[in-house]
Amino acid sequence: MTIGVCVLFAAALLAYVFAPGVAFERATDKPRLVYLEERKQVIYENLRDLNFDFNAGKYPAEDYESLRNSLEAEAAEVLAEISALQETAQAV
Amino acid sequence: MPLFGSFALLFALVLSAYSLVFGAIALRQQAVGIPSDRLAETARRAGIAIWVAVAGAAFALVWSALNNDFSVAYILHHTNRDLPTPYKFAALWSGQEGSLLFWALLLSTYGLVLRLRHKVDVKLTAHASTILAAVQLFFLLLLNFAARPFSLVTGSIPADGNGLNPLLQYPEMVIHPPMLYLGYVGFAVPFAFALGALIMKYPGEKWIHITRRWTMVTWCFLTCGIFLGAHWAYSVLGWGGYWGWDPVENASFFPWLTGTAFLHSVMMQEKRGMLKTWNVWLIFSTFMLSILGTFLTRSGVVSSVHAFAQSSIGEWFMWFLGIVLVVCLYFYVRNRDHLRSEHRLESLLSRESSFLFQNLVLLASCFAILWGTLFPVLSEWIQGHKVTVGPPFFNRVNIPIAMFLLLLTGVGPLLAWRSTSWASLKRNFAIPVTAAVVTAIILMAFGVRPWEDAAHFYSLMAISLGALVTATIVSEFVRGGRVIARHTGQNLLASMVTLTRRNTRRYGGYIVHFGVVVIVIGLAGAAFNQQKEQELGFHEQMQIGPYTLICDNYTQEDNPNYSIEYAILNVYKNGKPIGQMFPAKKFFKASQQPDTIVANHSTPIEDLYVIYAGKNLDSDKPIIKVFINPLVMWIWTGVWVLIFGTVVAMIPPISAAAVPFVQRVRPTAVALPVHSEPVEAGD
Repeated sequence: MTIGVCVLFAAALLAYVFAPGVAFERATDKPRLVYLEERKQVIYENLRDLNFDFNAGKYPAEDYESLRNSLEAEAAEVLAEISALQETAQAV
Repeated sequence: MPLFGSFALLFALVLSAYSLVFGAIALRQQAVGIPSDRLAETARRAGIAIWVAVAGAAFALVWSALNNDFSVAYILHHTNRDLPTPYKFAALWSGQEGSLLFWALLLSTYGLVLRLRHKVDVKLTAHASTILAAVQLFFLLLLNFAARPFSLVTGSIPADGNGLNPLLQYPEMVIHPPMLYLGYVGFAVPFAFALGALIMKYPGEKWIHITRRWTMVTWCFLTCGIFLGAHWAYSVLGWGGYWGWDPVENASFFPWLTGTAFLHSVMMQEKRGMLKTWNVWLIFSTFMLSILGTFLTRSGVVSSVHAFAQSSIGEWFMWFLGIVLVVCLYFYVRNRDHLRSEHRLESLLSRESSFLFQNLVLLASCFAILWGTLFPVLSEWIQGHKVTVGPPFFNRVNIPIAMFLLLLTGVGPLLAWRSTSWASLKRNFAIPVTAAVVTAIILMAFGVRPWEDAAHFYSLMAISLGALVTATIVSEFVRGGRVIARHTGQNLLASMVTLTRRNTRRYGGYIVHFGVVVIVIGLAGAAFNQQKEQELGFHEQMQIGPYTLICDNYTQEDNPNYSIEYAILNVYKNGKPIGQMFPAKKFFKASQQPDTIVANHSTPIEDLYVIYAGKNLDSDKPIIKVFINPLVMWIWTGVWVLIFGTVVAMIPPISAAAVPFVQRVRPTAVALPVHSEPVEAGD
């Protein structure tokens, strides 16, 4: 009886593992563009945080300007690369 | 059932080997451009099937315990017929083999969730799944060859079992080990993702985003496990304290310290692309320290109150630790270019540097505790005799570290990312520093004398720094709430709730920090502990602080599981009755072991903690030991606050209403497309 249960148990699991014709997801590498979009979102989030904290009175105006400028420069670099990649993709 | 359990474990081993080997082959083929998605899918499914097989084995063991199947040696040694059902269920993690099976069950459950959620990033999850299969393979090898839970009794089967260790027959002990294990095991998931991301040179920080909730859940479970253990030690071991720097307590603390460091420093990687190598090694170390913790608990290399769990499988863990270290080192050396920071530390006065200091301090604490814990082993190995390191060493090192950490908890949120100016510092620190100074003055006015006693000094520091951190947290909520209130017209309280819901991670984190403050205040109370021991015959009384205890009676009872001896004490505070207390001593029949039942009258001000320490055989009078432990309730309350904060931090944030917010855009090569921004609660 127990041996029968063990055999059935194993058969059911093997059937699940090796079931034919199962749809599966393709494993693909993350494109550079997706990575840059993620970076862009992070920088935008940092900018929003900075604005919020400035509005909350945490930073003096000079600090805010300086931090904001560096974040905007970072965002500009990422956006420039996104545009370049998109243009290349369109050209292809 | 034992046969089915053994078979299920063996089959789980085969499945884990398949998931590891063929998962790795599929990844290798994909790396060189050979399509192998079908093979990868069977490896993923094998990983899912491991859970079914291990759950089947765990079910078989619990079934055997509930049905008193003493043909199974594990059931014979850890249960008996009269053991209450919840403790029979808890037998699953009461001994060596069962707790390893429980480890494997939790690991396969985490693995199940990870593999079912593979669509979040198929390739990265395939790497993590394969790495997790390797960890599963190790535990299943142990369960099949070194610590078999279904070994059968040789010879005649006894009519009854040996019973469960009395120290474990306590409600919290039913949930303390699962919590701790959920914490230990859970770190395997961020470890697997981190190693997977390193192996495949995963671009970006999305793996951190994927594992953030895993890490927080795991950290929360580990925190609960540690404090449940402390509460169990306080309530059951009967020595008047909650933390004794026992090696096994320390073992649970190592991954907690590095895990806490990881949870903070990973924010620098997410936001600034910094500390990539550091973070990867932090999570590697956290996982390895979890394994080391299990090794210390299981191997018996260090003396501990957890001696009931000791055995000889330590070598297996050492080999596994060695292999994990070599694999991590190999892939780090091979792919270290991938971990280059995108930014440098710009200023010592910045959020980044406060995180870095906090990380260094947490690691220093971890190293000191690790050193103190392993020192007896190392000294015996080098000198031939064991030198034990006691609580004074751990306290001397860790109390100043805890003070510095508390200071950073208050300072960090007030510093800006990148750099902070003096003007900003003055603006943000005036209120918190005033709160700390005023608190210190009030404490000294109430009789705390920091110049007379180091314990008083640290208590004063802890409570004053607690006031600083609390002021910081309150000011963050109030300032953020005001911004929301300006835009939405809500009152301040409603605005602060909205603020928290919009950035659950940040404000949940502040609630966690507040929980830490409450815990630290509770710990600071230890400086004012009092204790007294006295024989107490009928109607005799003892006095400690404002309390008077009068012995009303002492008596005995008996049931099939244990006999119990206890005293009935009438308790008065400043002459007013506050009730009766019943400190007791149990004697468990099956295991022939005694156990202390503490009577505790707990209030927010102090605990009156009473122990029945036994009887003086000459006078036949009970010996009563009494402690006054101030502020202990704050520790347990702080843990609830901390859990609440962690849960808040894990809730997905609601999106902000699009309130117009004019944003000036600096002319750049590419214009930023954000002219109207929602008012977000910042991170």
